[in-house]
Amino acid sequence: MSLADPELDEAPHLEPPPHDALALETRGLDFHYGNTQALHGVDLGIARNRITALIGPSGCGKSTLLRAMNRIYELYPNQRAEGEILLDGEDILARQTNAADLRARVGMVFQKPTPFPMSIYDNVAFGVRLHGGKPKAELDAIVERSLRRAALWDEVEHKLGSSGLGLSGGQQQRLCVARGIAVEPEILLLDEPASALDPVSTAKLEETLLQLKKDFTIVIVTHNLQQAARIADYTGFMFMGRLLEFAPTASIFSTPRLTRTRNYVTGRFG
Amino acid sequence: MGTRSVRRRAANAAFVAATALATLVALAALFLILWSLVSQGLGGLSGAIFTQDQPAPGSPGGLRNAIVGSLMMCAMGMGIALVVGILAGTWLSEYGGQSRYAHIIRFLNDVLLSAPSILVGLFVYELMVAPFQGFSAYAGAVALAFLATPVVVRTTEDILALQPGALREAGMALGAGRAKVIRTIIWRGARAGLVTGGLLAFARISGETAPLLFTSLGNQYLNLDPSQPMAALPTTIFQFALSAFDDWRQLAWTGALLIAGAVLIINIVGRLLAREVSHK
Repeated sequence: MSLADPELDEAPHLEPPPHDALALETRGLDFHYGNTQALHGVDLGIARNRITALIGPSGCGKSTLLRAMNRIYELYPNQRAEGEILLDGEDILARQTNAADLRARVGMVFQKPTPFPMSIYDNVAFGVRLHGGKPKAELDAIVERSLRRAALWDEVEHKLGSSGLGLSGGQQQRLCVARGIAVEPEILLLDEPASALDPVSTAKLEETLLQLKKDFTIVIVTHNLQQAARIADYTGFMFMGRLLEFAPTASIFSTPRLTRTRNYVTGRFG
Repeated sequence: MGTRSVRRRAANAAFVAATALATLVALAALFLILWSLVSQGLGGLSGAIFTQDQPAPGSPGGLRNAIVGSLMMCAMGMGIALVVGILAGTWLSEYGGQSRYAHIIRFLNDVLLSAPSILVGLFVYELMVAPFQGFSAYAGAVALAFLATPVVVRTTEDILALQPGALREAGMALGAGRAKVIRTIIWRGARAGLVTGGLLAFARISGETAPLLFTSLGNQYLNLDPSQPMAALPTTIFQFALSAFDDWRQLAWTGALLIAGAVLIINIVGRLLAREVSHK
């Protein structure tokens, strides 16, 4: 049985969180890479202070959806999004929304760790310095708090001045998390953040994310279904550019409504 | 099957032998050049080379005026080349991309990269020497800059293109603008590579004679005023090597050894830095 089997076509089943709990919402979101349409009318609600996971086979559009939420796709001239993405009721796709301001409110961590070629301290301070100078003492406090929240402080406390490139892969990824939360964003987007990490580092990162949801709204794209089941409050299953099923994580994994979702989460899609 | 394998092995052996022979010829030529440089030049090497100016035939002297002139003009030329080259290379890598304009710039840069240096000398002669009625170190430096800039442009573009795209996205994702990301992240990550490119360009121009003949001309005295003609090692070597005086020809050999040694050291430092980059 194939996921692409046309006989499986069923209407999407969406159980979004209550409307007043939403931090971010997409409405009828389309996305185009040149002439190729990658997202078709996605309606997704991201609950505040919850972890929302996006799962689905490669090329289903989950990373694309994530990259629309901070408009990082704008780096590339032939990519464009249509529809609405509401952040606190304001359409961030609207031309008057400043991309730099938006990205201060919606942070992002990437698949491969991306420490900047500078010291650990400067990595974490990078975004803070960008959005206005702070006195040294305050900056020190922000760096320490961010590294503590990212569960990295104990490991780097005595080498804040050494290069971020010298850390292990798992540490680098937590450094990127610390860098992302140092600017106190409302939302943190993570694009397969653990796919380059070993199981121990992955567990540590997941633990960190569970702590972080007290203060932040988290959206994570993952290929690792167990990961979604372990940490996410809501899970969305995407397929061929559509959000097919979206519900509390427990029901996605135990009682999926659509056949395609069931086939995917049980691994039957050969 | 047996004969085919034998034939294949024979062809392979012949090809390996041919390439080994070619390598040997190239290495032998290089070794002969270095050997004649060292054997002829080393005898003239002394403290006086660095402390005394070029002598009249038959008197003792050194190459100080030429060494100082070379260093000054190369430094000025590199100053221009680094600013123009790094900015142009950055534009090509970060902004130009695959646009039509970028392709034209890239093509012209490649043309300039292989332009005969004597043409560059003549061009700067028409540009700076003829209008102002005088040879000068400024003109020499500009001519050298014309030769070094395309090298810096090329290496800058190549080294910046090696920086991962995810690094640019990560910077932008924090709310930094493109220029800020380039200045604070991309250039910093590419630092060692940029230095290497600069050193290779420096090595390229330090032995150039032709572009200086029509521009800085040469000067038998020590001169620190760039608006006046200035000596340089390559032009002094050119002049002395063709002379009839044994002591001048000895100085020419020693000067050649100095340039070769300096280029060798610069290249080694450049390679070491490049290796450090690739290990990161």
